[in-house]
Amino acid sequence: MKKIVVFGYNTLSYEAVSRLDQKSHDVLIIETDPALKKSAEDKGFKTQSLDFRSDDDLKSIGIGHSIDVIFCFLLEDSSNVFLTLSARAIAQDLDIIAIAGSAQSAEKLIAAGANKIIDPYQICGQKIHELIKKPDITNIIDHTVFGRDDLHIAEVIIPIGSYLENTYSSTLSLNEQFNLVLIGIVDKELGDNLHFAIGEKDHKLDAGDIIVVLGPSREINAFKKDVANV
Amino acid sequence: MLTKPLVYFAYLLKTSAYYQKSKRFFYDLLENPQSKMKSYFDIFMICLVMLSVFFLVYSVEHELSNTGEFFEQCVVTVFISEYLLRAWLYSDSHRIIIKEYERAEYLNTSFSPLKTLKKVLGKKLEYMLSLFAIIDLLAILPSYRPLRILRILLIFRLFKLFRYSNSIKVFADVLSSKRFELITLAIFMGFLVFISTIAIYLFENNSSGGSVRHLYDAFYWSIVTISTVGYGDITPITFGGRLVTVALILTGLGVLSFFTSIIVSAFNEKMYTLRENRTYAELSRLDNFIIICGFGRVGQEIATKFEKDQQAFIVIDINESHILLAKEKNYLYVQDDASKNTVLTNAGINTGASSIICATGNDVINVYITLTSRFLNPNINIIARSNRDDNVHKLYQAGANNVIQPFEISGLLAAEYVGQPVAFEAILGILQEQKQILMETLVVYPNCLLEYKIIGDIDFKSRKLTLVGVISSNKTHLKRRNRYKVNNQHFYFNPENHFELQAQDMVIVLGRKYSIEHFQDQIEKSKLRSK
Repeated sequence: MKKIVVFGYNTLSYEAVSRLDQKSHDVLIIETDPALKKSAEDKGFKTQSLDFRSDDDLKSIGIGHSIDVIFCFLLEDSSNVFLTLSARAIAQDLDIIAIAGSAQSAEKLIAAGANKIIDPYQICGQKIHELIKKPDITNIIDHTVFGRDDLHIAEVIIPIGSYLENTYSSTLSLNEQFNLVLIGIVDKELGDNLHFAIGEKDHKLDAGDIIVVLGPSREINAFKKDVANV
Repeated sequence: MLTKPLVYFAYLLKTSAYYQKSKRFFYDLLENPQSKMKSYFDIFMICLVMLSVFFLVYSVEHELSNTGEFFEQCVVTVFISEYLLRAWLYSDSHRIIIKEYERAEYLNTSFSPLKTLKKVLGKKLEYMLSLFAIIDLLAILPSYRPLRILRILLIFRLFKLFRYSNSIKVFADVLSSKRFELITLAIFMGFLVFISTIAIYLFENNSSGGSVRHLYDAFYWSIVTISTVGYGDITPITFGGRLVTVALILTGLGVLSFFTSIIVSAFNEKMYTLRENRTYAELSRLDNFIIICGFGRVGQEIATKFEKDQQAFIVIDINESHILLAKEKNYLYVQDDASKNTVLTNAGINTGASSIICATGNDVINVYITLTSRFLNPNINIIARSNRDDNVHKLYQAGANNVIQPFEISGLLAAEYVGQPVAFEAILGILQEQKQILMETLVVYPNCLLEYKIIGDIDFKSRKLTLVGVISSNKTHLKRRNRYKVNNQHFYFNPENHFELQAQDMVIVLGRKYSIEHFQDQIEKSKLRSK
């Protein structure tokens, strides 16, 4: 169970939280505006109101011991930088994801210790650019992976003792066995980088390697179960 | 008696495709400001005029050779044909005849061919009396031998240059916008010159010991002095004359600075329109450009990408600070309200634009621009940004082809990052083409090597490609599994080995840029070979 705290309730946080698997994530939304807090509660989310500027308040919700991830989705870039800075000071190994309204604030957030910066405007610009340049592919990714159709990109970790251990990626033939397309492999022997499966290199699979696949969720689950078979 | 052949001839011209086509051709060549041919023709004519003037200058001191004479003949022929063609293009005579005839028929009055011809000739005369036509004529006339005396008029050929560039029109526009001020100034100057002419003549005439011989000299002196040029060939010597000079020089300074300031301010005021016109002129030379409405953070991001791709685009924004940014980066821009029909039309929504992006931060404005664009051009590709979930369907209703929600995608990416960081990197990597790896479509052209081929027979592996799926609107595939409806097409994910490709299908593969390009080249070649 991953414990997540989301600061600020808005379209972005709603979208992020509702996409998270509710069973495996424990989400708490921090919102000071009573109206927004109410609407988050109406949607069934756990909420709390506290002052993010106070370290004691942050510690009181579990930052520093039980919380794994925080989302800094406050509207002001300066608030997000402040929050990132405070949270990083309290917890060194906390995963901090923050939104940035401009390229300059992105740099500041990184400096303050955020792990991942999300710049909605940049992403939006990129998406529009892709739509113009490659309308077909972007449409498909939108409808399937991002959209409501049942086609997802998922990662599957090879557990210890799986039958896939010591086999080669070229023998996987996922498209015939599982109706999945192999997108890439993280071969731990070669580091944490994702290697796209485009027939360049045959990877020897070991426990801990990650396989990234594209396909319907039923097939993904079947594959996950199959991989876990010892 | 004349009626029948005249009307018959008019109708003949109206229905003749050949006549219409040739008239259209010459219109494009000579008059149509949008046509490429006209710009080539203008350049050609400018060169011709320059050359002929060069010969003219040369012939002042040298005798022209036979080649020179021959060239002169050619130039005159071109000029005469141009003059006649322009006269022909100026009005559609057959239309006037038909209109008059039909009116007479309708009103049951008698059709008068003479009156109609008069009207036709009147139109042509109207052309001949226009400024440019007169210049054209004056550039031709002196070449006619009996009129050799008018040789000096050949200088009018230089004036012809104005016809082929826009500058004189711009200058005239600027001046005409300040008509009132200029007229006031001219009247004042007229009085001033008149008074000083008379005064200097009275003080400085020969009998008073001065060097002013007659009124023309006095007038010449006045102009030279008032303009502060002051050649000094005529100088006042009497006390009165010098007094007049002092007064005239002082007022001359005032008049001159007043004149300069009028011109400068007129140009300043017109600067915006002039620049806009230049933008539009530059746009009219482009095809397939993209209109970006709203140059906020999203607009800037898109523009940077397009700049990298060398994709032409124009930015429309009303916000001063946004426009300043576009100006700094040297983008084409228009500072205006993008929801106005005229702004979008001028920006080329119907002439060359392939897509329009509504990327302002205000959903209401985005909906309005989308609606306006769809109304102006039913076929254009519209991509709109929506900041709120509830506005997405409104944008689709207004006619957007795609709606992007920045906060939705960002939220989704954030969720993906927490849940599946590796998959997140994969998606981002593919989307942003990191490490040269991309997803690309291969179009199955009719008669190319992929047509009627089954998936199992295509060796994607040895080409270092991974097959993801096939996009198709072909009905033959409809019974296949893994079908996802995307707009009007279907996306077949992970097609089986016996899936047979049809023309116009699109195969989606994942791979490095080179492998994809190499395969694309092969497909392209096989298509050409089979022709």
